[in-house]
Amino acid sequence: MGENLKLPYWFFGIALVLGATLLVSDPYVASVVNIVSIAALIAVSLRFVMLIGELNFATAAFVGIGAYTAGSAITILEWPFLVALVLGGIVAALVSIVFGYITLRTKGPYFLLIGFAFTEAVRIVYSKSMVLGGNSGMVGIFPPIAFDPWMPTFVMAVVALMIFGLYLLERSDFGKILTAIRDNEDVARTVGLNILFVKIACFAIASFAAGMAGSLHAVTNNVISPGDFSFLLAAFALAYVKVGGEDNIVGPLVGAVLLVVLGSYALGLGGHEHIFYGAAVILAVLLMPEGITGLLRRGRDRLMGKGKRHAA
Amino acid sequence: MQIAIQLILTSLQIGAVYILFSLGLTIIFGVMRIVNFAHGHLFAVSALVVATVVSWLAARGFPVLPAYLLAVVAGVAVSMALGYVMYVFGFKYFQRDMVGSFILSIGLVLLLDGILLEIFGGAVRPVPEILPGNAEILGASVTIQRLFLCAMAILITAILYWALTKTKLGKALRAVSLDHEAAMLQGVPYNRMALAGFMIAAALAALAGALIAPISIVTPVIGADYLIKGFIAVIVGGLGSIPGAILGALFVAAIETFGGFYLDPTSATIAIFVLVIVVLLVRPKGLLGHG
Repeated sequence: MGENLKLPYWFFGIALVLGATLLVSDPYVASVVNIVSIAALIAVSLRFVMLIGELNFATAAFVGIGAYTAGSAITILEWPFLVALVLGGIVAALVSIVFGYITLRTKGPYFLLIGFAFTEAVRIVYSKSMVLGGNSGMVGIFPPIAFDPWMPTFVMAVVALMIFGLYLLERSDFGKILTAIRDNEDVARTVGLNILFVKIACFAIASFAAGMAGSLHAVTNNVISPGDFSFLLAAFALAYVKVGGEDNIVGPLVGAVLLVVLGSYALGLGGHEHIFYGAAVILAVLLMPEGITGLLRRGRDRLMGKGKRHAA
Repeated sequence: MQIAIQLILTSLQIGAVYILFSLGLTIIFGVMRIVNFAHGHLFAVSALVVATVVSWLAARGFPVLPAYLLAVVAGVAVSMALGYVMYVFGFKYFQRDMVGSFILSIGLVLLLDGILLEIFGGAVRPVPEILPGNAEILGASVTIQRLFLCAMAILITAILYWALTKTKLGKALRAVSLDHEAAMLQGVPYNRMALAGFMIAAALAALAGALIAPISIVTPVIGADYLIKGFIAVIVGGLGSIPGAILGALFVAAIETFGGFYLDPTSATIAIFVLVIVVLLVRPKGLLGHG
């Protein structure tokens, strides 16, 4: 197991991006870096549930739950910053366990659509809750002053840690069970695995990551509102996964970096964000079903004369 | 009593639109096993075209009723053309691929959202009153326009039901949705059936949009709300089931109306969500679902 983890690449990569964030001084660049990091974490969380073969549109709801939890902990309860941040992830995971216990008995389109409905229902709760600021949302969610200059580095470090953790889980025996469930749930059941329990565990882990992404969103954006957490958030995350490629954890990272950077460039040109993302998704699914990383891998294999790779 | 009748009538009006919507979703799912989130945009395009054409013709001195009928033809035509393009260049390649088709439809949602906003703008489009006046039913008052909408929805549903049970095309569609391989072995041309199913669904959405335009606030995002309710209706009823879609749509409409009256609209929306959870706990494939 250990020799296959490509750990030197990971450590070098994480050190490189963290070093790069230290050079960021322009506030606009810093905000783009934060958005990229958070988008990457959400995309990786979405992909983690895809390992069991389900599309988890409730991701948007859990990002929202994390953001609102961290927001209330900081502005209303005045809890310490780091505690509030982690609390966002924990609350999202707890809610997801209850939600998953009920909904993970369903599969495919039912699970997808129920997640979609959940996202919209949760959003209505925020907008009607006066404590959470109703439709206009919560303001003034600031990190401590001392953190301010280091924010991009801090966000990137938390995100890198979470993604690395999810990567290790995917490559562990637990990850193999997840893909076994995706390939054939009944076969996995016959060897005595508690499928529902494994699915809930996978869902809760992904939701913890989504909740952390929400916390980070709240403290970097300082303002959150119900409109930030519509199903479009999950749709964008899906775009990152699909454009980057879902076979490998690097795919969502490539997709998030590419689309967020191009997207903020397109916004600068006055273009429509929606048209841009929509066109990107359509072209990606029609022209390169395995995403950019899939194309790169196939190109590399052809160059090296390996011929066709066997489907994993 | 009068309140109850009024509420039942309101549920039926809302339910009528949900039925047209969820019938389309369930037919597409049954025949092609795909989830199409862009379905709401077929509805929105039709409503927007109707609103634009009616205002344009009315401003040039056309009588309202013929203007509306012309507009309906135009709206349904544009919407079905869009549906055809969606199928031929997109969904055709993603049949029986739930994840792939869903992702494609999300791309279409984003793209069409942007394009509709660009063409029609975000402003609300008023549509002049087509059939003025009110009617009294058992002491409850309804506008003629809403009554017309209900009557049309019932008529369309009845025709569809007849077509699915009695005509050759309908029987072939149902055979494909039960077991597409067995149907193909009997000589049913699957690809043609998939296109037919998709276009019937597009026509239902387009008609719903054209009917709703005079009695609703028409904006480019009008489809989103109906799409959510339509999907909830088909989950409750069971994906792929025609009676399930009708039952689910009436359920959702009744909860929305009664909950909205006795509690408030927010609680009603949450009540609908709770209903879905309860149904899925008892029957993970919906009330009348089988596949």
